[in-house]
Amino acid sequence: MKKIITLLAIVFAINVSAQSQYEKGMTKAFELWKTNKTTEAAQLFERISKAEKNNWLPPYYAATIEIIESFQIKDEATLTTKLTKAQGFLDTAKSISPENPEILITQALLNIAYMVFDGQKYGMTMSMKNATLYEKALKLAPNNPRVVLSKAESDMGAARFFGQSTEPFCNNIKKAIELGKEEKITEKFYPKFNVQRAEGVLKKCMNP
Amino acid sequence: MKHFLLIICLFVHVILIAQTTISGKITDKQGNPIEGANVYLDGTYDGTSSNAKGNFSFTTSETGKQTLVVSFISFETCIKTGDVSTFINMKIVLREDVTTLDAVTINAGTFEAGDNAKVTALKPLDVVTTASALGDFVGALQTLPGTSSVSEDGRLFVRGGEADETQIFVDGMRVFSPYTPTAPNIPTRGRFSPFLFKGITFSTGGYSAEYGQALSSVLLLNTNDESVKEKTDISLMTVGLGVGNTQVFGKSSLSVNASYINLAPYQKLFPDRNEWNKPVQSLSGEAVYRFKFDDESLLKLYGAYSYTDFDMIQDNINYENGFHFALQNRNLYFNGSYKRHLANNWTVSGGVSFANDHSKVGISESKINDDENSAHFKVVLKKRLSNRFKLNFGTEYFVTNFTEDYQNETNGNATYEFNNNILGGFAEVDIFFSKKLGSKVGVRGEYSELLNEFTVSPRASIAYKSGDNAQFSLAYGRFYQNPKNEYLKFNTEFKAENTSHFIANYQYVKDKQILRIEGYYKKYQDLVKYDTDFTEPNSNYSNLGEGFSKGIDVFWRDNKNIKNTDYWVSYSFLDTKRDYKNYTTKATPNFASKHNVSVVAKHWITDWKSQVGMSYTFASGRSYTNPNTSGFLNKKTKNYNSVSVNWAYLISQQKILYFSVNNVLGTQNVFGYDYKNTPNSTGVYERQAVTPSADRFFFVGFFWTISDNKKDNQLNNL
Repeated sequence: MKKIITLLAIVFAINVSAQSQYEKGMTKAFELWKTNKTTEAAQLFERISKAEKNNWLPPYYAATIEIIESFQIKDEATLTTKLTKAQGFLDTAKSISPENPEILITQALLNIAYMVFDGQKYGMTMSMKNATLYEKALKLAPNNPRVVLSKAESDMGAARFFGQSTEPFCNNIKKAIELGKEEKITEKFYPKFNVQRAEGVLKKCMNP
Repeated sequence: MKHFLLIICLFVHVILIAQTTISGKITDKQGNPIEGANVYLDGTYDGTSSNAKGNFSFTTSETGKQTLVVSFISFETCIKTGDVSTFINMKIVLREDVTTLDAVTINAGTFEAGDNAKVTALKPLDVVTTASALGDFVGALQTLPGTSSVSEDGRLFVRGGEADETQIFVDGMRVFSPYTPTAPNIPTRGRFSPFLFKGITFSTGGYSAEYGQALSSVLLLNTNDESVKEKTDISLMTVGLGVGNTQVFGKSSLSVNASYINLAPYQKLFPDRNEWNKPVQSLSGEAVYRFKFDDESLLKLYGAYSYTDFDMIQDNINYENGFHFALQNRNLYFNGSYKRHLANNWTVSGGVSFANDHSKVGISESKINDDENSAHFKVVLKKRLSNRFKLNFGTEYFVTNFTEDYQNETNGNATYEFNNNILGGFAEVDIFFSKKLGSKVGVRGEYSELLNEFTVSPRASIAYKSGDNAQFSLAYGRFYQNPKNEYLKFNTEFKAENTSHFIANYQYVKDKQILRIEGYYKKYQDLVKYDTDFTEPNSNYSNLGEGFSKGIDVFWRDNKNIKNTDYWVSYSFLDTKRDYKNYTTKATPNFASKHNVSVVAKHWITDWKSQVGMSYTFASGRSYTNPNTSGFLNKKTKNYNSVSVNWAYLISQQKILYFSVNNVLGTQNVFGYDYKNTPNSTGVYERQAVTPSADRFFFVGFFWTISDNKKDNQLNNL
């Protein structure tokens, strides 16, 4: 009996260590990200994605980092190489999880990065694409706080561009915050809703 | 027993940590260390980033054959496969990625528009926001250097070439009658809606071997791969109305649009110099269907139909009661293309285009019925051996059948017919020696059944990037084109007309600013000549014509220095002379002006939710012959000047109000002179200036997009 238990324990231990390799890797990547070592974080996510071929989260985060960074870029050549790389990660994530609202809104964010860089050049095609992406994401997950917030932010951006009031979208942001507070995430490393940031957006919306 | 288990446990642990160290140094070709490269064993968690000296080192518990991947942004990913134990003190040299935006581009002669272009001379929205263009993509291209302003014609005249020396292709397939039919001295427009295209490549010379039957220029239009949004567009304009609708069904989408133009109300309000028996009326429709297969291959079908008619009398010095011109035209165009990626980096694409064009023209006492059926078939294979070496080859077949039925009570009736079929083939390689040096070399062969002639056209271009922002390029090519229908209907004993292009280009791109300077020399040979006033069945035809064009094109675009303002300036210097048609000597043709300037500016005013735009066109005087003095095409008209303004007011994202006025200053422009056929009693030939039919043109339009997504309309509802 003892033997069996020990044996089981060993097998279990090996299993745990195999699983924890993913957890360890992801945790480390998030730590790197938090300490602003974004390149290392993105590279680690990239490596994890190569090892975990059926998990959409690592390529999703690798893409997210590249996209967020690209908003600071002033040079078009660097911007497109970075966003092309991000697009590659997103495509991988999409092929693993095709109808995923989190990936859809990140794709929309990528398109926004192009639009922010040069609205005249990219605005026409990208804004059309984004309308469809948000529509699809909302259909899949009408109560996903990240989807609701991301859509509201994009609407606010458009309203500002056209010199209109952002007020109609404030309620959607409030709704997103409520949804975010209620949301229960079961899957580890699943994207979380950042209430603090959302409240900041709401503030901007109310007092433009 | 306990001890034994413990030993096993320890043993297992030891196996787990029996690790190999992988190390090395990463540099670029010049030996500079690369910091921050991602180094890892494929499919494992083991890896690291290289440090400031390019060194890396990490441990792995993997054994045996593994794949080491080294990737770094804007370099080609390096992959090494081998036993992990050999991955020690590796020397890894990364090659630069030649596909990045800052790599050299082979661009001599070419302007690109659209969001896929590396250097965008025109942006997608420019077509509809350029003041003088009136929503016509051809009008927008006329603000680029290398084009001559021939504003009574409206077509593209490139570098001293006639308008039909430019061929237009949609998705690689030839468009046989790209312009809407008009009367003499009234500008035409492109037949296509500008929103159909995601990319426009306009080559003013030295283009790829894939394209033939164009002496001067090609315009390549690529339709959108997919329509992503369901919507309905409605436009109400002072000249007519239009409606469009897009539907998306899973993998496929269908867009249709229709427009009806009637100039009667406009001409009532603003009468022009012509007498209209029947003002211009046109009905046109377009449909695009796209289907994306599961394997990502793409099928696009495009069909367009248009009908135009009008009847007018133009004041003319040689016709006491005016010159009568009436036209009824119907045009059907179909274009289908298919593209598929095969294994081993092969891509196959093919297409068919077909056009049926029927015109009934009444000129003075004559009635002419023209019928043209044309088709183009094409298959292209592409092989990407690497990012640095690409092969492109294909074959194509053009079929044209032309019939003309000519009726005239005094001259009698006649019928003319010919078949102009051409078989073509081409092969071309793109070679990038480095991120700084690239070239494209190709050859094209054509056999014309009608002329029973085989021609070979070599093409080559090379580009060198001399700094972070600057590059030089050179291009050479030989181009053949069969004589036009106007000659072929009377005579087929011809050779193909041909040109040779020599182009040198310098380009500087930095921070939303583009400077492009291009010099060229173009030699014309074997041009058609005839010995009568007009082309006639009994004229003597030959290929003895020849000529040249040389000049400098300068383009400057700046979207940086003035806030909320985007502007560009084009200047073209053109020196051209030719002896062709019935010219008595080598002379500058009437359509060519020595200096052409275009200035286009757009300014966005946030508080007004408006974009205001201005464009200015200048062209130096054009040549004409004065029969009262000696010489041929040796007189010059006064300079051409035109200022156009527009104002687009965004009522909301969906509703746009648009105003524009062409030639707002009402400058009286003169394109040339018509002289009386016979001298008056004092022996002088009287003349009449050829002028635009109206000095100004006003346009007001309201454009409304209705999207199915109600949320998008929230702005308007609240």
